[in-house]
Amino acid sequence: MKKGLIKATSAYERVVHWGLAISCIILFISGLGMMFHSFNFLGTPVGGLKNLKLIHNYTGIVFAVFLVLSILMWWREAGIFSLPEDWQWMICAGGYLWPVKNPPEVGKYNPGQKLFFLAVALCGLLMVGTGIVMWFPYRFDLPVEFVRWMYPLHALGFFVIFAFFFVHLYLGTVGSPGSAPAMFSGWVTRAWLKKQHPKWLREEEEKGTLIVSGTHENHFSLKLGIIRIELW
Amino acid sequence: MSEKVKLYDQSKCTGCRGCQLACKQWNQLPAKQTTNRGSYQNPPDLQPNTWMVIHFQELETADGGVKWVFRKDACMHCTDAACVTVCPSGCLHYTKYGTVALDQKKCIGCKECISACPFSVPRYNPETDTVFKCDMCFSRIDNNMEPACVKACPTGALQFGDKDEMIARAHARAKELGGDASVYGDRFVGGTHMIYVLTEKPAALERLPEHPTVPASVIAWKKWLKPLSLIGAGAVIAGSFLHYITVGPKMPDDDETDVTAAKGGK
Repeated sequence: MKKGLIKATSAYERVVHWGLAISCIILFISGLGMMFHSFNFLGTPVGGLKNLKLIHNYTGIVFAVFLVLSILMWWREAGIFSLPEDWQWMICAGGYLWPVKNPPEVGKYNPGQKLFFLAVALCGLLMVGTGIVMWFPYRFDLPVEFVRWMYPLHALGFFVIFAFFFVHLYLGTVGSPGSAPAMFSGWVTRAWLKKQHPKWLREEEEKGTLIVSGTHENHFSLKLGIIRIELW
Repeated sequence: MSEKVKLYDQSKCTGCRGCQLACKQWNQLPAKQTTNRGSYQNPPDLQPNTWMVIHFQELETADGGVKWVFRKDACMHCTDAACVTVCPSGCLHYTKYGTVALDQKKCIGCKECISACPFSVPRYNPETDTVFKCDMCFSRIDNNMEPACVKACPTGALQFGDKDEMIARAHARAKELGGDASVYGDRFVGGTHMIYVLTEKPAALERLPEHPTVPASVIAWKKWLKPLSLIGAGAVIAGSFLHYITVGPKMPDDDETDVTAAKGGK
């Protein structure tokens, strides 16, 4: 382990993130295969469109579980905007999309990430809700008019989540170099933090809770009721 | 190939249900035991193994009497069929005769057609995880035969032929009958390929929509959101790429303690 790297995420955060991400991508692909006839071929590798439907349905359950875990884990940090500074950040997109001299400093999550979190949380719940009705349209004795509107709402949810997902993918990788390790190893550089999340870096340093590689030996901590054993 | 229409003349129907039986026989749909519900109608509704049913209805007349009316209930074979629009697998499709048939092997049991249908016709069988409905005896009409129900009808209440001729015949018959008689089917959902000559007003008949349309939800979903989502997805992908090659990424400031980060890699 390189010295001087800073711990940005816990193992639990990364597991939940990737559980949500991978299930979401499987849902995108399998859903696409059913939404467009021209993508029907996506069912071929799994033995037909019916299997694709089953994969979509059961992956939906996995997605729902990780969605709930994500919301419980992130809503405090990423679900609440702090005004007016978040608004000022929004106006200049935090300097991510075009050069901005001094974008407002942000904490652990910037307002763009908060917006992404809220979009996934709300649309995700919409997808789970509409999806359950689509899976069992006649189990609950619902009026047909209601069942009918589940389908366009499901498509609308895809539209919103996919747009945010792709921007997130871009800004989490090549669009913002140094970001991706936060969700792989969990360790990021001080230079990256200083640029992207300076307020969080400062606050953690003031509190003395910053975990820097090469400075601690064995670290044992309890957080959110989850026991994390981190050895390095 | 000219479009075909099946014409049902309510005034000539005696409720003998020969058509219902012929349908089961040709399509090999064995019946299941039902219980008496106090009606001659049997089975009570369309089922995965009952693709057409004669509805029996006791209609009160103005003078306090009761009139017994029959109606053949089956797929209407819409020209603008909501079920075909929503079907994800291409199982439901238009035939060269303008009718709506199913390719049973392609059905994935998503049930999307069931709520989309303005006539609530398709039926889901959980055992096969597929949907069933009348296909206007495609196996017969494609071999120059009329549908089994038409063949079996002893009174001439059912006729089958070219679309224009059948519609003309329907209107002539409705005119001849006079009173409340009307033609049902040629003026909505692009025109159905089963046309009724009704002796009663459509509003007086059970389980028959007065103004059937392709549901607004189906239009919002398949005509607007589907292309919109494709455009939207394409736009964010293209936009991200354009951003990368024009504006470029937001880089951390160079820091001598870590140079690799600036290069963007793990």
